[in-house]
Amino acid sequence: MIQRLLPFLTLIILFVGLAIASPHFLTQTNLSSVVRQTAVINIMALGMTLIIISGGIDLSVGAILAMAGLMGTMAMAAGLPILVGVGVGILAGGACGVVNGFFITKLRVNPFIVTLGTLGIFRGLALIISNGLPVHKIPPSFSFLGEGTVLGVPFVLWILLLCALLMHLLLEHTKLGRYAFSIGSNEHAAFYAGIPVDFHLTAVYAIGGLLTGLAGMIEASRLMTGQPTAGQGYELQAIAAVVIGGGSLRGGEGSVLGTLIGAFIMGLLSNGSDLLGISPYLQQAIIGAVIILAVTVDELRKRRMTA
Amino acid sequence: MLLHLRNIEKRFGGVTALSSGNLSVDAGEVHLLMGENGAGKSTLMKIVAGMIPFDGGEMLWRGQPVQFRNPAEAARNGIAMVHQESLLAPHLSVAENIFLGREDTGWLGWVHRRRMMQRARLLIEENNFPLKPEWSVETLSPAGKQMVEICRALEHGSSLLIFDEPTSSLSESETRQVFRIVTNLRNRGMGVIYITHRLEELRSVGDRVTVLRDGVTVHSGPLSGLTTDELIHHMVGREVSAIYSRKPGERGAELLRVEGLNRSPLLADIGFSLYAGEITGMAGLVGAGRTELCRALFGVDAIDSGRIFVDGKQVEIRSPRDAVRAGLALIPEDRQRTGLATGLPIAYNTTMASLGAVSAFGFLKLSEERAVTLEYMRKLRIKMDSPKQLAGRLSGGNQQKVAISKWLAKGARVFLFDEPTRGIDVGAKVEVFEVMDQLARSGAAVLMVSSEMAELLQVADRILVMRQGRITGELPGRTTQNAIMRLAAFEKESGVLQEKPE
Repeated sequence: MIQRLLPFLTLIILFVGLAIASPHFLTQTNLSSVVRQTAVINIMALGMTLIIISGGIDLSVGAILAMAGLMGTMAMAAGLPILVGVGVGILAGGACGVVNGFFITKLRVNPFIVTLGTLGIFRGLALIISNGLPVHKIPPSFSFLGEGTVLGVPFVLWILLLCALLMHLLLEHTKLGRYAFSIGSNEHAAFYAGIPVDFHLTAVYAIGGLLTGLAGMIEASRLMTGQPTAGQGYELQAIAAVVIGGGSLRGGEGSVLGTLIGAFIMGLLSNGSDLLGISPYLQQAIIGAVIILAVTVDELRKRRMTA
Repeated sequence: MLLHLRNIEKRFGGVTALSSGNLSVDAGEVHLLMGENGAGKSTLMKIVAGMIPFDGGEMLWRGQPVQFRNPAEAARNGIAMVHQESLLAPHLSVAENIFLGREDTGWLGWVHRRRMMQRARLLIEENNFPLKPEWSVETLSPAGKQMVEICRALEHGSSLLIFDEPTSSLSESETRQVFRIVTNLRNRGMGVIYITHRLEELRSVGDRVTVLRDGVTVHSGPLSGLTTDELIHHMVGREVSAIYSRKPGERGAELLRVEGLNRSPLLADIGFSLYAGEITGMAGLVGAGRTELCRALFGVDAIDSGRIFVDGKQVEIRSPRDAVRAGLALIPEDRQRTGLATGLPIAYNTTMASLGAVSAFGFLKLSEERAVTLEYMRKLRIKMDSPKQLAGRLSGGNQQKVAISKWLAKGARVFLFDEPTRGIDVGAKVEVFEVMDQLARSGAAVLMVSSEMAELLQVADRILVMRQGRITGELPGRTTQNAIMRLAAFEKESGVLQEKPE
């Protein structure tokens, strides 16, 4: 039980430790900057949670994020209203997810390979479409999405909480979520039970794409540009958040709460290192070590359970 | 005498695989090792080949007591095994496989490629094998792969070669080729142990035969003069231990009819019917095609031709989804791999095939799911703590019941049980039989595929027997093991048993 709570305890210890170690930690400016920084990864990680539960992985989310941000801002630059632009970005992300799902289910190629390939394809397309140049002609009020405040709390936190709630409902209370668990835990058993595996896997990647699309619009709003090079390396952070939160790359395991905790642990680690003046080089090493530690502890727990 | 095994014992956990394995093999003889599925043949040979240790008894090799710690040690002593499933490296060449692990190397591990190629070519020519040293092993037929394994054994200077059912995956002409090779090896003074189910083919090859039954050597002697009936008696022998007896079912409407089903390379011209209220047994030896038939009926593997009728209506089954829609249920042999999601809660497994029934507009009604799971827990007497318990933490028998509950919840009417009692203890077996009986009495049609002939005799209303991809006959439920074995291993129902012409 203690081991199951370990990620949560780690988060609390980190929080309390940082509050004691640095007087700047518990300020509203700092905390809202942590929330804003982690929100993008966090929302992507929610989609990644669903994908990893279904036994898959998506390495292309960083490229999808860039593609979505680019499409959304281009729509705005072309004169469409902000809300429509955001919608375009989200749908572009969803379309990329459908492409991933199609390759994975119809060509029966391993998701790791497919999304490694589409990572390059989506990124390349984004660069071609934009000619490598960022989109700047964006209405100023678009910045509200990433930088606005509602009831004294960053707007992105509300968005994150809403997405987290919806993803939790999807995983625990819908057929789609249940099928994701079934397919991830034992794809053969799911197939033998007559579950339409291909359809649901495609839906899983599509939902991952929609969330990444939303994350892409938030990122674009924070930068106030549509960057074809945005989001490089984000896929690994999203995967790390899921894994620290107890998701298993073998599929069938993972939770929204775990992923949120995982993402915030990483967010606090990097924020804390900044506050305490730890070099950004060392930061990377610390986060890497935490990933290995978290997974090791989780494996030990499972081994003890089965023994 | 090359090899002498005296009272070899082997236990796996609490299960005794061998209690008294006896066998002696001379140089220059082909020794057949026979027995039913699970009699302990493969276990005994794995011990000889150093793949697993034995717990008791004595093994003499050229008169010296030995206990090989690993296959390499057995190989150094001149014992090699040709496996049923090839253990070659598929992407390497024939020559590289022959010398795998004992490459001809020089300074800093430099491999003398050309020298190895030449030696491999010589070896292949000596044996007249249709192989080339530079061919990639993955392109070879099963027989070709066995030839590579034989070359490897010869290159290692083996004096005893063990064949584990080498012909079960071979065509007829390939089988003849293997027999020719075996005869050659014997003529060159090697000892050959040949594990097989298919005696009639081997009359011409074998010199002596040893029969294992339930982990005990029950017969050992020359092959000539031994009739097929005597051999069957040795293989089956035991009294049917009556752990369960069932009142015969009453045949109702025809629920499933299969006509002219073919799927190359194994299944040929399969036709049979299943009736409501009846448990139909299906017997056969390993490799007879029973599991393949279940998979084909259930839409896992595509069929080449044939028609399937459910409830009198022809159905197209191209996937398990189609099969489930038509009212079929498959409780597969490899429960852990295809039957259950062991990492998920019991409730998730119970409703896996019928999630639509406990949900509305895509949302699950979790309390209903819980109620359904508890209902089947009571009905099937599943021993579990709560519907949230992980399915993998149940005992084998209870896992089997959860797999069954999945189909009950779906309302299936034709149940295909593939080896339903594999890996579960006697008490749980009886409970599984009771569930099957309950199913039949409530109007379902049940097919019970089993390698346990005694269990088929106790449970089934009638028994279909398969051999090499065909249904070779139908027997009444109260038949004998000898009658089943005759259809499963030897000639057709009406055919005359062929003996070796003297």
